[in-house]
Amino acid sequence: MLDHILSILIFFPALAAMLGFVVNRESMRSYGIAVAAIEFFLALWLWFAFDSNASGMQFMETIALVPTFGINYIVGVDGISLFIVILAAFFTLIGIASLGETKDIKNMIITLLFLQMTMVGVFVALDAIVFYVFWELSLVPMLYIIGAWGGPLRIYASVKFFLYTFAGSLVMLVGMLFMAYFYYQATGQWSFSILEWYRLILPESFQIWLFVAFFIGFAIKVPMFPFHTWLPYAHGQAPTIGSVILAAILLKMGTYAFIRFSLPLFPDASVYFMYPIAILAIIMIIYTAMVAYAQKDIKQVVAYSSVSHMGVIILGTFALNVEGISGSIFLMIAHGVVSGALFFLVGVIYDRRHTKLMSEFGGLASVMPRYATIFGIMLMASVGLPLTINFVGEFLSLLGFYKQSHILTLLAGTAIIVGAIYMLAAYKKMFFGEVTKEENRNLPDVNKRELVALVPLVIITIWLGIYPKPVLGTINTSVEGVVQLMHEKAISDEAKERIPNLDLIIKRTSAKEAH
Amino acid sequence: MLSPVNVSIESLNLMTLVPMLIPIVGALLIIVIDLFKSDQHKSLYVMLSLLVLGVDFVALLDSAGIFEKNGTVMGLFDVMLIDGLAILSQFIIVGASMLFIPLALTHKRFHEFSYPEFFALFLFMIAGFQFMVATDNLILIFVGLETASLALYTLIAMHNRDKSFEAAVKYFTMGALAAGFFSFGSMIFYALTGSVEINQIAAVLNANNYEDIGFVLVGVVFMLASFGFKLSMVPFHTWTPDVYEGSSAALAGYMSIVPKIAAFVVAMRLFEFLIHSGVVWLEVILYMGVVLTMTMANVWALVQTDVKRMLAYSSISHAGFVMAAILIGTTQSNSALFLYWILFSFTNLGSFSMLWISRQKNLPAHQQSDHSYNKFAGMIKTAPVAATIMALFMLSLAGLPPFALFWGKMYLISSAVTGGYTVLALIMALNSAIAGYYYLKLIVYMFMKDPIVEDGGHVYSANATLPLKTIIGFAAIGTIFAFLAVNWLLDFITVFVYNSGY
Repeated sequence: MLDHILSILIFFPALAAMLGFVVNRESMRSYGIAVAAIEFFLALWLWFAFDSNASGMQFMETIALVPTFGINYIVGVDGISLFIVILAAFFTLIGIASLGETKDIKNMIITLLFLQMTMVGVFVALDAIVFYVFWELSLVPMLYIIGAWGGPLRIYASVKFFLYTFAGSLVMLVGMLFMAYFYYQATGQWSFSILEWYRLILPESFQIWLFVAFFIGFAIKVPMFPFHTWLPYAHGQAPTIGSVILAAILLKMGTYAFIRFSLPLFPDASVYFMYPIAILAIIMIIYTAMVAYAQKDIKQVVAYSSVSHMGVIILGTFALNVEGISGSIFLMIAHGVVSGALFFLVGVIYDRRHTKLMSEFGGLASVMPRYATIFGIMLMASVGLPLTINFVGEFLSLLGFYKQSHILTLLAGTAIIVGAIYMLAAYKKMFFGEVTKEENRNLPDVNKRELVALVPLVIITIWLGIYPKPVLGTINTSVEGVVQLMHEKAISDEAKERIPNLDLIIKRTSAKEAH
Repeated sequence: MLSPVNVSIESLNLMTLVPMLIPIVGALLIIVIDLFKSDQHKSLYVMLSLLVLGVDFVALLDSAGIFEKNGTVMGLFDVMLIDGLAILSQFIIVGASMLFIPLALTHKRFHEFSYPEFFALFLFMIAGFQFMVATDNLILIFVGLETASLALYTLIAMHNRDKSFEAAVKYFTMGALAAGFFSFGSMIFYALTGSVEINQIAAVLNANNYEDIGFVLVGVVFMLASFGFKLSMVPFHTWTPDVYEGSSAALAGYMSIVPKIAAFVVAMRLFEFLIHSGVVWLEVILYMGVVLTMTMANVWALVQTDVKRMLAYSSISHAGFVMAAILIGTTQSNSALFLYWILFSFTNLGSFSMLWISRQKNLPAHQQSDHSYNKFAGMIKTAPVAATIMALFMLSLAGLPPFALFWGKMYLISSAVTGGYTVLALIMALNSAIAGYYYLKLIVYMFMKDPIVEDGGHVYSANATLPLKTIIGFAAIGTIFAFLAVNWLLDFITVFVYNSGY
């Protein structure tokens, strides 16, 4: 069964979603929780069976799809994707478990299960077209979640979300077709296999153009400044569960794709674009932090702060060394946990008051102590306090980039201070002082169902903040492989210099060798 | 003293005519039945047509087998030309017709289907299209084209609504003009080369190195205008939305597929050698035509308030998209054209059929037109299965993976990449993104708005019967599981296109 575990992880939720149409309305939540729990345990099993000393792909599976044109169903997992897959399974589980009284709960759960299929698919696909299929397919359930359960501007927000990412990824598709064509020219065979593409060494001028094509697709998804304008709308209008999944998993598709495609395929172009992207990332970090400070709506604060942290992830990725990339992957997970939790928390208060305006609250700490505590912990994590999960990732990302540029890192570091300012300001407005509004005086504290979602997140936040090794070690091994590959492939002297040579004997294990 | 002409029957290779003769015989049979025993139910004629088309399909399989063994076959004084293109396009023509004809078995009574003439004309039309693609003789192309077109005009007019007459007359007038252009273009090529066979024309023009380039260009202009009409390329597209609106949804879907593949094949035969001749001017014009067609049609589709008109513009855009294959002119692009069109025929016929089953006899007050977007508002609540299927077709038309049309789109864009048309590839990609908006608009109406129609979703299947649902189910399955067939199709198509020298 382990031989097919990745396919099971992808298609089990989809199958369950299909069968879900038949399940009775009242039993739907239990059904959803059961399915998501099975999926989560399968994901944990994957981790358990995973050989964390090997840097290559594991549990690979290949099925011919359109062999004439080099398209195969290839899936595999390495340290880079492993934890994001687990995170996706985890968030689907707690997302479904914490679903409140939503209209059309049946459709919602079915949609979430379909979404889970596409999310897992994206992170384990090793064929560019299969990757593209899941990447695009993930838009549909998200479109529906925002469009059917969202706020008053939901249709505008969902369509904007769809079209932005759709347009970007079509440009990326052209890039992929070019890659396959170059592979064809070099070898006489069509191939969309990412692993086979890795072997291809392209001239720098080609790399630059292809990098741009892929970049457009990824940057919109991340979303990087100035392509981020769809995100505040999407977050603002999406229902809680939509925002959680969007922030925790879907945005990671973009940053993950940078590491999976852009860096190893185009090492020279990555170096070439390192500074421009770093500057964009820093603008993203500082500008969105400032915008976050100006928000009146707590959800928008979280949304902009989420974009700001994505900037740190990008910065870490383009540090192009092991610290930076490992840090950015770790931060992806941390960001998923923390901003996911923050969106949950906003959802909690929104359920009670049907407003997200901070001016409507004040002195909540005395009314809802448990809520205030959890919010406080998550906020500290978001700010990057040591001993929380975010700190590890942010520190490593910045450390990585410090090796490339001191000044830019310093600039990015200041943003963390800005982050502390807006977050604490928001916290002060909502939780401290007198209870100003009469309606707030009798708000119920977090209930059991909400704790089910929040407590595990708090535990993970602190646990991995104190002891990140089980996750970080596995990530590190795979990232070393990527960096080594980049160094070997780099053509230009600058790239050779910027990308460290690790002198590793890389254990590129395939599924067969692993067993 | 003229020597007597000696023609042996074998040299005529009459077998090449069989696929065309089958529908003609079928049509005559239907007329004869009506002659002796009128007032038969339409189901008799539908099933007879289906059977005839089935036999035709088998005959095509036969010719495909012969082609695979012996290569291109000529027949009937070398007028008939059965090559890979002819066989592939006939497969599409007959296959799409087989999907179309059961749509006549509607729940509501539409009187055009009660005439046996409808089915006879339909079969004659198919024979016409088959002749058109199975020859490179400009005269036979013309005969086939006119046979098919005249039958088609009548089929539209039989729909018996004010708009249908308008549509038929409009189509007829435009078609007559296009026919005039075609014959004028042929005349010029004949005057230049002394032949009406495309390969002869190509050979002669090549031999004298295109010295009469001025005349060649005039001929090309007339041909382009003529095919512009048939393929509804911008700026010759103006008839399309009105004609589609005037015809029944099913026929509109049919018209967006079958006449176009016939025209594509002729355009491929004619323009292929011209593009490879190195006449830059021609390439530029075709390039502009392709880009304008897909872009402008997309923009117009954005602002439509009626789903059927939107689909009409969308099919113009798809035609422009596919025309790019002829511009690129490589084996890969020509194969991509067929792949695209096969996948498109499933999806598009499916989506028009969805309109067809929701066809009401009378318009309710809140609806401005037969298939306005409003009508589909909140469909997910009242008719969830139908809404999901419709959304599926829309997503496929938008090129969202893994649904059918994505694979065609991908292969076609890839052929632009390999053919060196990078900018064109990007334009194609961006156009797909624009197109996403109007397909999405219908999905938004269906899934995210509140229903206006308060009759429990009955309106969406007002016209549905088992055969109609079967066709839609067939199309939906084809759309979802296309990826399983792509490899096989691609192998099949590429062999046929390559062995025909394209």
